[in-house]
Amino acid sequence: MFEKQTKGVIVAIEAFVIDPNDNVATLFIHQGARGSSIKVQIDGKDAEIQLRDNVPFAHKFAIRPIRKGEQVIKYGYSIGTATEDIEPGQHVHIHNTESNRGRGDLAGSSPSSGAGK
Amino acid sequence: MKKQLRNTWMGYRRPDGQAGARNSLLLLSGTLYANSVIERLGHMIANTTVITHPLGRCQVMPDLRLTRKTLVGTALNPNCGGVIVIDHHRETGCTAEEMAHDIAKSGKPVEAINIRESGGAIEATARGLRIALDMLRKISTQNREEVPVSELIYGLNCGTSDTTSGISSNKAVGYCSDMIIDQGGRSILAETTEMLGGEQVLAARAATPQIADRIWEITKRMEQRALASGEDIRGSQPTGDNILGGLSSIEEKSLGAIQKSGTKPIVGVVDYAEPIGREPGLYIMDTPGHGGESITGIAAAGSQILTFSTGGGHTINHPLMVTIRLTGNKTSFEKMRDTVELDVSDIFQGMSIEEAGMRVYNEVIETASGKLTKCEILRENNAFAIHRIGISI
Repeated sequence: MFEKQTKGVIVAIEAFVIDPNDNVATLFIHQGARGSSIKVQIDGKDAEIQLRDNVPFAHKFAIRPIRKGEQVIKYGYSIGTATEDIEPGQHVHIHNTESNRGRGDLAGSSPSSGAGK
Repeated sequence: MKKQLRNTWMGYRRPDGQAGARNSLLLLSGTLYANSVIERLGHMIANTTVITHPLGRCQVMPDLRLTRKTLVGTALNPNCGGVIVIDHHRETGCTAEEMAHDIAKSGKPVEAINIRESGGAIEATARGLRIALDMLRKISTQNREEVPVSELIYGLNCGTSDTTSGISSNKAVGYCSDMIIDQGGRSILAETTEMLGGEQVLAARAATPQIADRIWEITKRMEQRALASGEDIRGSQPTGDNILGGLSSIEEKSLGAIQKSGTKPIVGVVDYAEPIGREPGLYIMDTPGHGGESITGIAAAGSQILTFSTGGGHTINHPLMVTIRLTGNKTSFEKMRDTVELDVSDIFQGMSIEEAGMRVYNEVIETASGKLTKCEILRENNAFAIHRIGISI
């Protein structure tokens, strides 16, 4: 559990959103069970997200809807492209996110200039 | 009460003016066929550091030159008080004599042994013993003296990362790096592969437009190397243990990895195993993400001490450059307590990055001053790996 000082009050945070533009949070309780509610701060406000999947420690879940083809954002930057529609509370990992970089397997692929926000 | 910040450490002053965190007699293989003699000497003689490797023969010239540069750079590292370099016969451009000639310019004692000319492996071993006897008697008379933090070259590296790394241990390392640079020191960030996806963040911190261009250039070249393989980089980056730890892509791994670099301006970009400039600040060395190759390059540039941040836990230990391992993953620390020095997982219980960074800094100062790491005590010697830019022929 992550405790964050907000207006002098220590609040328990169970998942961490790094940048205001992020659409994923990283879980910091040992195992996030499907159906459980996770306390997280989004845009400076306390919120709860209900997990739609079992999420292991330190893995990510969506905090906003991410449509197929949209960028998954963490640290304020793209960490890959969503390969399917992802709803808030869904586990975000290699099964639904694809790297955009160094993809020698993709024909005609060329170095990107660094996918930004 | 807040502990007073130590702004000096205790180091060994070298004839070339550098300061070392250790006073090792280095037993260095010139070629792979000297490895057994080197290892034998390492077993027989106290207070030595053994470095062996599989190279030095039948390499294309640019690759052989890089091998020699790395071996000589390693011997020039100020943690090394004296050197015995051994080769077996003759290798153009990479003989023990040629390397000893380069190393001798630093003023530190160095001797070359050729196995064939010594009369074979047994005679070379006997010669090595006699030389080591005198050399160790000489270098062991040196005492540590007070050295300012500005003389530290602080190495930054991470491996077996997970999603805790970018939020906890790497942030703490970045804070420590900022503290060292604020006192006039230098840090080296490496692992170019682990900049893919984070170039814009680093380029924005470049001290000059030329340095920013170099950052884009080295990351583009590294990405092209991945593309030229015709393979999906995801087979190798992120690695299996990274994926298990929650990292979904190289971009995510990179954005976490570059947190190690703190917030200071980037004042230079250097090639693999290349010495960095005199100006204080953060330098980037162009290395692969391979941990051993990466820290071997950093050590060859003269870094006395490196912190290795890990999510899953690690045994990595450079034989000469003092290597401190830390993690922000409590479970990993418990599992790997015998080879990981620092646990900063309290960050997830509310410890500030500043406090965690201070812990790292204090450990760096104490360890540079002589405190042994767990891997030094266990004689873990597993991370000397020279990067290759050409094939064997």
